[in-house]
Amino acid sequence: MIRAWNNENQFHRRRFRLGVYFMLPTVLILLIVLAYPILASLVLSSQKIIIASDGIRGTFLGFDNYTRLLGNELFQQALFRSIYFTLVEVVCVVSLGLLVALLLDTPSGRHAFFRVVLLVPWALAPVANAVLWKWIYNANYGVLNWIVVGLGFVERNVVWLGRPWLALNMILVADIWKSVPFIALLLLAGLQNIPNYLYRAAKLDGANTWQTFVHVTLPGLKTPLVISCVLQSIWALKVFDLIYVLTKGSPADSTVLLNYLAWRETFSNLDIGYGAAIADVLFLLMFLLALAYIRALRPRKRSANRG
Amino acid sequence: MTSYAFRRRLSRNFTRFCLAVFVCICLGPVLWAIVTSFLPLSAMTSTPPDLNPLNATLENYVEVFDTSRGLLSGLINSLIIALFTSAIALTLGAMAAYALARLNMPGSTPLLLVILATQMFPAIVIVIPLFLVMSRIDLIDKHIGLIVVYLSFVLPIVIWILKGFFEGIPLELERAAAVDGASPLQVFRHVILPISLPPLFATGVFAFIESWNEFFFAIILTRIHVKTAPIAIAEFSGQYQTLYGQMLASAVLASLPVVVLAIIFRKFILEGFVEGAVKA
Repeated sequence: MIRAWNNENQFHRRRFRLGVYFMLPTVLILLIVLAYPILASLVLSSQKIIIASDGIRGTFLGFDNYTRLLGNELFQQALFRSIYFTLVEVVCVVSLGLLVALLLDTPSGRHAFFRVVLLVPWALAPVANAVLWKWIYNANYGVLNWIVVGLGFVERNVVWLGRPWLALNMILVADIWKSVPFIALLLLAGLQNIPNYLYRAAKLDGANTWQTFVHVTLPGLKTPLVISCVLQSIWALKVFDLIYVLTKGSPADSTVLLNYLAWRETFSNLDIGYGAAIADVLFLLMFLLALAYIRALRPRKRSANRG
Repeated sequence: MTSYAFRRRLSRNFTRFCLAVFVCICLGPVLWAIVTSFLPLSAMTSTPPDLNPLNATLENYVEVFDTSRGLLSGLINSLIIALFTSAIALTLGAMAAYALARLNMPGSTPLLLVILATQMFPAIVIVIPLFLVMSRIDLIDKHIGLIVVYLSFVLPIVIWILKGFFEGIPLELERAAAVDGASPLQVFRHVILPISLPPLFATGVFAFIESWNEFFFAIILTRIHVKTAPIAIAEFSGQYQTLYGQMLASAVLASLPVVVLAIIFRKFILEGFVEGAVKA
């Protein structure tokens, strides 16, 4: 009895020691490439950074970068546009993703071919996606103008990326096209986790298609839907490649979103402390979203433990 | 009864119509890009586009491989960086995932939440300090610099996925090996790793796709020598003129390997990543 207990104890002790060695390299790398930069970014945002020939010097400013930021019109516009972009993207991607998931859950939609089709936009490199839409939107030779002029919606070619609101919305379309597949697959996995007896019970109770959708499908999809919304808002706030390739922020800075603004202030205008302050605002927004994600995951875990 | 059968046929045809629209929307833009990448400039720029298959040419593809265009070296750089990133992430990630899943690490739940949260950090926050440090120690425009930075987002995903897999292996299997006198390290190497080869390989593919496609870090942390394929593509859409044919040809070339990988490993992507995001 005692020997068995000793063996058990030794088994766990030796495994624990190996575990420490196994964790060390990962913890070390994550400290260097994640923890240090995040802390350093907070410090940088309180400084004015001057790049001189003999190195980089910082002067302490306190919260000056942040107060400058809040009073800056371009920052306010970028913040507003980022929020608009994120809201529209989440609503469109999640509702279209749900439609696609429902479509692929029908008897004729279950064929593996449709899932392969769905993976194509998802796997495409973001830059390749941007390039693709740049060609489609081209004002002179783009296929989009050819279609809308041919169908008689407009009389003359539209400069899709040349007008402020229009350009932002065209970037949204390109991003939505690329983002729907992942969310659709996520919701499809959620649909398949809804137990079949619930549908049978609904049918026995005489529920029609719409009632079944509202009272069985939607409640069953609650967690995947919340997770989709959170993940998609995080990804929408990060959008960069599309802006870089399609407009570089033009026309008249109307497609400058927060992430792009932080990059431009830091690496084009070399206003490093100010850029870091913008990055930290973005970080705060995403941190709140990350907390929401973790909260959304938790109830599921508890019920799994119970079962 | 007839009306019921009719309604069912109607709804089935409606579903088929929706599926057709869905396929067109998903593949249309991609097919359009592929088709036009084979057209000479004159055919691309005529209205309506001149799609005569007799005009098809490989000239865009030949031109993108001109060494001055940087696509060839970009593809090679991307390959080197993606291979090393996935190999390192897989080795270290498998060790960490096993420790978190099985080796009684204290505080493994908060640590996992931290790992999950790192997925949501905006890259811009970490790239500014990293850029300053890396310029000081001369790691800008070096393969190793980009590989280390890519570990910041690849390593957490690898740990997250593999941990789920390791937890599914019966503990009795490990206990049996321990009773036979195997040390914990031997159990890991000779019992756990061999039966985990399929998920390890597929996770590696995912890490490869992620680092192959990455653009944001690459544009900040490379200059000339280590330009990756996405940067080479973006450069075709230049400030003064855009070489549409070559831009599309290079995008097709750089996307082909990852799209093919994703389709081959779709079963794993669907089960591992998509469902992994929902189940904690």
